[in-house]
Amino acid sequence: MHYVYPGQIPGVISTLSFLVGEGATRIVSSIFVTLARTLTGFALALFVAVVLGYAYTLSSIARDTIRAVNTLVQSVSVLVWIIVFLMLFGVFSPLPSILVAAAVALPILLSSIVTGLETASQRLLELAVMLRAPRWRIYPDFLLPSLLPSLAGAARAALGAALRISVVAEAMGASGGIGYMIENYYSLAEPRGVFAWGLLLVVLMVVLDQLILARLEGWVKEWATMQR
Amino acid sequence: MGYNAAVIGGKCITKSYGGRLVLDCISIRADRGELVAVVGPNGSGKTTLLRILAGLEEPDSGTVIRRGSIAMVFQENLLLPWRSLRDNIMLGLRYSGLSKREALRRVEWAARLLGIEEHLDKKPGEVSGGTARKAAIARMLVLNPDILLLDEPLAGLDVSSRLSLLQTLNSLRSDGRTIIFVDHNIADVASVADRVYLLTPAPARVSAVVELSGLPREERLRRLIKALEGHYGVDK
Repeated sequence: MHYVYPGQIPGVISTLSFLVGEGATRIVSSIFVTLARTLTGFALALFVAVVLGYAYTLSSIARDTIRAVNTLVQSVSVLVWIIVFLMLFGVFSPLPSILVAAAVALPILLSSIVTGLETASQRLLELAVMLRAPRWRIYPDFLLPSLLPSLAGAARAALGAALRISVVAEAMGASGGIGYMIENYYSLAEPRGVFAWGLLLVVLMVVLDQLILARLEGWVKEWATMQR
Repeated sequence: MGYNAAVIGGKCITKSYGGRLVLDCISIRADRGELVAVVGPNGSGKTTLLRILAGLEEPDSGTVIRRGSIAMVFQENLLLPWRSLRDNIMLGLRYSGLSKREALRRVEWAARLLGIEEHLDKKPGEVSGGTARKAAIARMLVLNPDILLLDEPLAGLDVSSRLSLLQTLNSLRSDGRTIIFVDHNIADVASVADRVYLLTPAPARVSAVVELSGLPREERLRRLIKALEGHYGVDK
């Protein structure tokens, strides 16, 4: 076990120069690996949440089941998810990071969809009835698009959480990615490496949130906000 | 007059919400090709009455008569903001099994009738309230319903839009469609309605039925105002 005493915490210049010394190839490939795992997990969660949202509109049994599943997924500690997935798929598989990202993102996305469906405009449903929309088209044609503004906000939070947690899964058992690099330098008792890659993670999250997700959320809100 | 010729109507419709009586034995009818108006104070249950006639709500008691396909235009336009006006108007036709070519033809017809053809490619957020209102009406018109229920179709429209919409309602009636609409503007109601049902404040009852069909224009307004004065006790 290695310990870092306060006096050993590296300064900004030292951390940045260490990061520069890592080389562009290593940095870019690690970012790519982490992002690919996080985005895959997020996409999986989004797909499952949208499908469950559809099932939610079909019957009261489906509604009760989905509420229970959501509560269950939400209640399981991230640590348990990581360890279970590592036991199932091993440390060399990308699946633990992907599935942990999905497990973290799913309750956030599903809660947003369920809340949106429960408070969906009654008038919108009546409009669908008047337009003689078959029951199976009401969700994709009327409800889901109207949920997008709130879902976009939830997606922003879910992707941020997924990225934060998938690096933990990488640290606990993976062969690449930002989390792996942080853990690697921790094992080597190299605080500059830990701080450099930690800083890179923060920058990545800020860039992802402010330059992409915030704009996407604004655009979706403008696109789908219902006028009276 | 009996209900044999009625294509839409209700006999002694009663409706309560949470023990509060909203509609108290309302009877109303519209025959084929008639334009019927419902007038009453705010909160008197006019919208509830339309919703029951449309089949969106069940009455607590009473009989609803529906002989034909129904479309209802709500108070809110409810245009889907992510679709163009054309796609909004065409939405119901997508579920009807109509070919795209025929669907587009109907959209063009309704847009021309309502004078919004130049706005079809715009999104609801890019057009005026009047154009959006007309698009909401067009969306139901293209379904070719026998009966059209309109909840305050003229609300928020400027003078020229009101006039053009009133002309449209007139021409739809001439095509044999039956229309029931709710409105507050007495002059507008008098200019087009064949019959007007005056409702009391909640719980709503029909306090007067004013027949205007066949009367000259100035007489229609005079008769309706007279009925309203008697009805609401307005000073002359």
